[in-house]
Amino acid sequence: MEKFHKSTGENMKNDNDFEFRITPPIISSLFDDIEHRILSPLSCLREFDRHFMLEFDLPLVSKKDIKVTFDGNTINVEAKLQEKYSEEKLGKISKFEYFKKSISLPGQIDSKKTTARFQNGRLEIKIPKKVAGQSIKVN
Amino acid sequence: MKIAKPDTKEKTLLLGFPSNGLVGTFSISYLIHYLKMKKVGEIEIPDLPSTLFVEGGEILAPIRVYNKNNIFVIISDIPFDQYLAEEFAHAAHTFCKKNAIKKIVIVSGMESINQSKTPPKIYGLVTHPILESVLYNNKIPKFLDGSIFGSDAAIISVFRKTKIPALVLYAECHPFFPDPKASVIAIVTIAKILDVKVDTHDIQNKIDKLRIQHRNLMEETIRTLQQEQKKHGKIPQIYR
Repeated sequence: MEKFHKSTGENMKNDNDFEFRITPPIISSLFDDIEHRILSPLSCLREFDRHFMLEFDLPLVSKKDIKVTFDGNTINVEAKLQEKYSEEKLGKISKFEYFKKSISLPGQIDSKKTTARFQNGRLEIKIPKKVAGQSIKVN
Repeated sequence: MKIAKPDTKEKTLLLGFPSNGLVGTFSISYLIHYLKMKKVGEIEIPDLPSTLFVEGGEILAPIRVYNKNNIFVIISDIPFDQYLAEEFAHAAHTFCKKNAIKKIVIVSGMESINQSKTPPKIYGLVTHPILESVLYNNKIPKFLDGSIFGSDAAIISVFRKTKIPALVLYAECHPFFPDPKASVIAIVTIAKILDVKVDTHDIQNKIDKLRIQHRNLMEETIRTLQQEQKKHGKIPQIYR
């Protein structure tokens, strides 16, 4: 029964260094692509009255290295890490260089009016909803 | 008016478990590391899913007890739903009674609306008036209005009914992403309360990597907390 894995950053080799125990997920939707050195970032989608706010946690990333694209109702985010991130799982060290994730949005969106900002390693994408339908006269 | 300085030599228990921003996890783990606290025991909760960790060949339970001088720590590596949180609080209370603990400090995170614009703040909430002086002496603003739900509410509810007072520290954080930056303010505040010196440079230098490393635990914590919300209908989030 595998119940342990240990992650470490590249500069965390000293035994006296501060290191947390990493809890293995019971079920995870984060699928890292070891072969292509791609990490799956955490993201959250919040729905407001007139827009969606989609956030990605992108630590170790510079604004210039982020690419955001639309494909219909799907938003794709890719970002290159400023330095390689290493993780050790069951004695094997994996190195990662990129974040990549696609999120499908519920409902119609206005991609042309979408705006994004990047601050403190967090990407916030504000996506206006497309206003559609016909007005109904109230008597 | 002269305000009595709290007795820093009396036994204090710190509680940390995964919640918003993993603030409790980061801050309590760092204190264990920095203060070189020794593991003195483990806590078993019967309904907790069977989980063990292995570190350097040593088998560890997910809820462990650490100690150094008059400071005790109980830390959980796995998130709780409401019912496990209640059991956890009862177990912690039993531990306090057996070890003559005089006060409890719980560390958690609260959702911040404009968390990226200003440095995170920390608020305090006490279960018994006797700890009001700790807030005052350490210039910790009181958590005045809002609602608390899930594991935090379950744990606070248990301690409210006991004779051992608890102080809950709420650091503003991102609720859905690991927020080691918010935990730094919690570490500094706990150090003041305990009257110990803690240098936070080590954790500050690793903030970005900690955010990557703890994606899975954050995801699992959110899933646990959201399952609670689904069971009980939509409950307003803290400080919203």
